[in-house]
Amino acid sequence: MSTETGRPEERSLFGYSLPRLGLYAILAGMTVFYLIPIETGLMTAITSPETYTGQFPYLPPLEPLVPNTGQFSLASWQGALDGLGQGLVNSLILVVPATIFSGLLGSMAAFGLTTISWRGQVGIYVLFVAGIFIPYQAVLVPLTQFWYNVVPLRAVFEPLAALPLVETYHWKLVALIITHTAYGLPICTLLFRAHYKKLSDEMVEAAQLDGASVATIYRRIILPLSIPMFAVVFIYQFTQIWNDLLFALTIVQFGDAAVVTQELVGIGVSQSGTNFPLRMAAALLAALPTLLVYVVFGDKFAKGVAA
Amino acid sequence: MAALTLDNITKVFTEDDGNEIRAVDEVSVDIEDGEFLVLVGPSGCGKSTTLRMIAGLETITSGEIRLAGGRINEKPPAERDIAMVFQSYALYPHMTVRENMSFGLEESTEMAEDAISEMVADTAELMEIEELLDRKPSDLSGGQQQRVALGRAIVRAPEAFLMDEPLSNLDAKLRATMRTELQRIQDDLDVTTVYVTHDQTEAMTMGDRIAILDDGILQQVGTPLECYHTPNNRFVAGFIGDPSMNFFEMDVDDDTLVVDRFAYPLKPAQQEAIAGKSRVVFGIRPEDIRIKEPGGISDNYQFEVTIDVVEPRGDENTVHLTFDRNVSDPITFTATVSGLRDVSAGDAVVATFPPDSIHLFDTETGVALHNRTFESEDATKQVL
Repeated sequence: MSTETGRPEERSLFGYSLPRLGLYAILAGMTVFYLIPIETGLMTAITSPETYTGQFPYLPPLEPLVPNTGQFSLASWQGALDGLGQGLVNSLILVVPATIFSGLLGSMAAFGLTTISWRGQVGIYVLFVAGIFIPYQAVLVPLTQFWYNVVPLRAVFEPLAALPLVETYHWKLVALIITHTAYGLPICTLLFRAHYKKLSDEMVEAAQLDGASVATIYRRIILPLSIPMFAVVFIYQFTQIWNDLLFALTIVQFGDAAVVTQELVGIGVSQSGTNFPLRMAAALLAALPTLLVYVVFGDKFAKGVAA
Repeated sequence: MAALTLDNITKVFTEDDGNEIRAVDEVSVDIEDGEFLVLVGPSGCGKSTTLRMIAGLETITSGEIRLAGGRINEKPPAERDIAMVFQSYALYPHMTVRENMSFGLEESTEMAEDAISEMVADTAELMEIEELLDRKPSDLSGGQQQRVALGRAIVRAPEAFLMDEPLSNLDAKLRATMRTELQRIQDDLDVTTVYVTHDQTEAMTMGDRIAILDDGILQQVGTPLECYHTPNNRFVAGFIGDPSMNFFEMDVDDDTLVVDRFAYPLKPAQQEAIAGKSRVVFGIRPEDIRIKEPGGISDNYQFEVTIDVVEPRGDENTVHLTFDRNVSDPITFTATVSGLRDVSAGDAVVATFPPDSIHLFDTETGVALHNRTFESEDATKQVL
């Protein structure tokens, strides 16, 4: 028989013990701490610029309606959409192919470096790993030189501009797509490799004996088993590329091809002052696609992380 | 279906530090068309490497593998027309049972979809897995996965089956059932089969012939009873049979073998077999040792011994015996007696080592110098 187990439970408010109440209080405090910037942004964004005072920005607008009209102030959202529209389109043109290419190529590279064995693969893999550690700063100047002086991508796009939906400035987006794909490839390969190492060798051997070629093994066995990892890689790459400003500034620099992060920098800033409601609405609008990606791929993401 | 020939095949692995390991050393076996050959040996003996070389999953350092007379050394696994069942079953987890079974036919043949689904249905019926066809491997029990893995190999109707410890992940009861079933299926299909196992019971019960490997070297190829009764060497004698054969290392003193308290007279033929040796290894199987009540020793083949431990098995008891319990390092050996016999530890009994049943091996090389004999020629023929 065991001896008495500790003191009788100290009952406090609502039947919970004091330590537990303390824990809840801390958790609630942290929730508020993390959510308050977003809440502040949201409240600011629905405040009319005329009534925005800058005091207590986290409170709901004291004058929630546009003066004398009886309507919510959605002017900032309209302004954000107008201001960022081109950037949103450009970012989408950039981020979707770049994410898919880096994921797909990363998966193929990992398959070739992990599941198939051949002489010298370790050396190649080391190069991939080294790619992760190349600092962005080190490649900025070479990158500009490369896309502006070495590769005549612009010249390729000039005749293509006659086609519908294609504009000359799209060459900058293509350059960005290739750059992001290349830069994302090492980390994607690393993630897929970790996943492929856990797949059974015997299963791949069984497929070999079943008459499948290397390409078939990838397409029919490995690719379907990579879906959870694709969710992880897609979310990661989408967020990275969507939020990137450095490569965009380096390669796009300015003009029609500017992506959403570039446009966000300048929106709502003028000589008459900063339009905070507009800036907040624009920030939330720019963040929306990454949020959507998390929601859509969330359950697969969890599977991939747990796998 | 075709004959499979292993001709002096050797596999040398080179480690990172340049060390060479001979995993398989000049193994030669002729496997007849439709034969069930069991490759057996302790873990690390090279049996799986041999199988993987036949499958094409491992390169062959030297030697030649021929299937239906044609050299297959350089053929990739996909072109060898061989099906393999893996220890882990290696099913494709994202495919249903039906898709798992169709995959090989889709990839290796030009068959139409209808013909494939017909063959899958036929095989599923043979394996009694029709109701599982639309399920995924993760929804199946170990035994069911095992059947699917076999079905996936059978549906291909290959020239040869390779099986790498396919039953070792099953529980003991199911393993015994599958053993019989596998034999029945192999018999029906009459496909050349190479079966790898470390379990001598599986080897004894399933194989038409067994090939015993140790340390990459082929020790013996023969029918199970040949290997059991006329082992080539001490390793085979000790590996085949459970409980294992008893071995005593003894000095040769004229016509008698001697060690400590134990002296055993040899017959003329046995003396001849060990001529010129000063030490030999004496071997006798536990079931050949006869136990009777103490007293009344009538010849030199009987010895007074004490029972050390009794392991009841129901049908028979394995008794551990010793010539003298009181010395610090006693010579012990095992004998099997009927399960109904009342024996208990500490009993003094008389053990008989019948002279016909003894084996003699070279101390150094382990080569069999003399194997047991049978009372009549007929008995020999019957057994071997």
